[in-house]
Amino acid sequence: MSKIKTLFESNRFKSAFIPYFTLGDPNYNDSIEFGKTILDNGADILELGIPFSDPVADGPVIQRAVARSLKNTFSFEEIFRVTKAIHDHKPETPLVYLTYFNPIYHCGISKFLDHAKESGIVGLVIPDLPFDTEESEILFRELKVREMDLIHLVTPASEKKRIQALSKTSSGFIYYVTSFGVTGERREFSVDLKERIKFLKDTIQLPICAGFGISTPEQSNQISLYADGIIIGSAIQRIIEENGSDRTKAVSALAEYISKIRASIS
Amino acid sequence: MGKNLPGYFGEFGGRYSPEILTEALDELESTYQKLKKSKKFKKELEYYLKNYVGRPSPLTYAERLTKLWGGARIWLKREDLNHTGAHKINNAIGQALIARFMGKKRIIAETGAGQHGLATATVGAMFGMETIVYMGAVDVERQNLNAKKIEMLGAKILPVTAGEATLKEATSEAMRDWALNVSTTHYIVGSAIGPHPFPTIVRDFQSFIGTEARAEFKKRNKKLPNAIVACVGGGSNSIGMFHAFLKDKQVAIYGAEAGGLGPKPGEHSATLTYGKTGFLHGTKTLIIQDEFGQIVPAHSVSAGLDYPGVGPEHAHLSQIGRVDYRMVTDEQALDSFLEVTRVEGIIPALETAHAFHVARDVAKDLGKKKDLIICLSGRGDKDVTEVLRLLGERK
Repeated sequence: MSKIKTLFESNRFKSAFIPYFTLGDPNYNDSIEFGKTILDNGADILELGIPFSDPVADGPVIQRAVARSLKNTFSFEEIFRVTKAIHDHKPETPLVYLTYFNPIYHCGISKFLDHAKESGIVGLVIPDLPFDTEESEILFRELKVREMDLIHLVTPASEKKRIQALSKTSSGFIYYVTSFGVTGERREFSVDLKERIKFLKDTIQLPICAGFGISTPEQSNQISLYADGIIIGSAIQRIIEENGSDRTKAVSALAEYISKIRASIS
Repeated sequence: MGKNLPGYFGEFGGRYSPEILTEALDELESTYQKLKKSKKFKKELEYYLKNYVGRPSPLTYAERLTKLWGGARIWLKREDLNHTGAHKINNAIGQALIARFMGKKRIIAETGAGQHGLATATVGAMFGMETIVYMGAVDVERQNLNAKKIEMLGAKILPVTAGEATLKEATSEAMRDWALNVSTTHYIVGSAIGPHPFPTIVRDFQSFIGTEARAEFKKRNKKLPNAIVACVGGGSNSIGMFHAFLKDKQVAIYGAEAGGLGPKPGEHSATLTYGKTGFLHGTKTLIIQDEFGQIVPAHSVSAGLDYPGVGPEHAHLSQIGRVDYRMVTDEQALDSFLEVTRVEGIIPALETAHAFHVARDVAKDLGKKKDLIICLSGRGDKDVTEVLRLLGERK
C-alpha cells in the first residue's frame, strides 16, 4: 500500500495539511532548514517544488521563487540531496514532488523515479502532464511498481466523463484546483466549491485535497470542513520571499504560519 | 488522444498543458472540426482573406536578385503585401472567426516581433473584441513601432518582464491569462506551436500561402518549382508555405532558422539544429534546453525568431528529413536584409532575411533554368530602427 494511502486511512486528522515550497529558494541548504521547520510544525504531507524555467501553471509568487532558485546551479544531485536531508528529519511524513514534465523526461523517467524514491519521495504532481497522454500512462506504471503515487489535478472546468477516465491512472489523492487561473493567494473561492468537492468524492474513490489560492487559517478552516486536505503554496513561498535573506527569521515565520494553519484544520 | 492520432506529427505534438485548459482545447478542437466542414465558415473566411487581407498575395519574379545570385530563378511569395504587412493576419482572422463562433468576446495573444500582436489587435478592432497582447518588455522596446500600432488599434499591451522578457515569457503569460479567463476568452496562438489543436489550426490557416504559390507558379510556368525556402521561428509562415509541397517529392524544401551570434547556448534560436526533444508550452517538440531540461534563453537579431521551441510539425519534418533546415547568423541575415532591400526595392522583415540567405546558397547550387520560391513572410518596416542601430554598432 502506498504511504499516502496509509496516511489517509489512518484517520490521524480531519483534513490533511499539505504545504508546498520550491527547492533552492534562496539556496539549497536553506531549503533543508525550511523543510524541517515545516515538518516539525504540522505538515501531514510535504510538496517539494523542483524548479522549472517555464512554470505556466504558477502565479507570480512561485514564478519569482523559481527564478531565484534557478540563479543557483541546478542539478538533480542537489535536488535529491536536499530531499533526502528533509526526509531523514522526519521519515514518517510523505514527501511528494511538484514539477513540470520536461525536467523529469530529460532526466529519464526510471532514473528520476529511482533517485526520487531513494530520497524519500512517494508521489508526483505534474501540472502539465494530463492523464490522457502516453507519457502519463508510462509514468503511472513506473510509479506503481515502486509503490509511488501519481497525483492528478482536477479543475472546476473538468467534466464528469474526464474525471471518471482520470481515476484509472490516479492514486494517492486528487489535487483539486479550487479556482480558474494559476497558483496564488485569493480572497474568495467559487460559491460551488463545496458541491464540486462533494461531487468529486462521489465520483473518485480517492481523498480530495484542495489547492490554488488558499492562504489564511480562516479559509483553511472553512474548506477543511469538506475537503480531505488543504494545499498551500504561494502563501508559504511569500514568507520565504519576504524573509529568505535571513534564515533564522524565515524559519521562525514559517513555524508560526504552519502551526496556525495546522491548528485551523484540526 | 495518443500517438498517430490527429494532434501528433510522428512523435511530436500532443497536448501537454495544464488541466484547466483541457475543456477549452476540446471545445476549440470540436468547433474547428465542425467549422472546417462548414461552407458558410469557408465562405466567410475567404471573404475576409480576399476583401480585408488582400489575398491572394502576388508571386513576384525577382529579376535582379536572380541576376545577382547567378543561379536559379527567384520568385517571391509576397506575404509582405497583406494587410498589416505579414502572414500573421491569415491566422488571426481565422481564429477570430472561430472565437466569434464560440461566443468568446475577449481575445488574447502573445507576440515577439509584434506582427502577430498587430494582426490580433487589427482583427480585434474589426470584430469589436476586447484584445490583450502579451509582449516581452525587451520586444516592446525593440519593436516599438508595432507596440504603438497595437495600442492605437485599441488593444492593450501587457509587457512581460520575467526571464529574458521576450517571446517565451510572453507565451507563458498568455497561457496563464487563458487559464484564468478560459470561459470568456480565446487565445489566438500566433505560431504553429502550443497544445493540440493549435499547431494544426495555425498551419491550416497559413496553408493558403503554399497552396496559392504552388497554383500560381504552376499556372505561369507549367511545372512546379525546384525548391522553396522559408524562415522558421515557431514556424507558421514556413509550415504554411511547405504544406502544399510536402507530397511533391521533386520539390526540395529548406527552412532557415536563427543561428544568432554563434553555437553557444543562449546565442541562437536554432532549435532544429541544437534542440532536443522536450515539452514546452503544451507541446512535445524540439527545444533548446540544458542537460537538466531547463529551457535555455534563445537569441536572434529578429524578435520573431527568438523562441527556444519550434512547431511540432517542423520537428517531425526535420526528423524524417523532408525539410533541410539551415542556420543563418545575425550578421548574415543583416547582410541579406540590406541586399534584398537595395537590389529588389523590397524591405523584408529580419525574419525573412534569414530565408534569403539560405535561398542564395540554394539558388547557386540549383543553377540556371531552375526555380526557387522564397516565402517573403513580412515587410521590414518594423525592423528599420533596429537595423540602423545594428549598423551603427558595425561601424
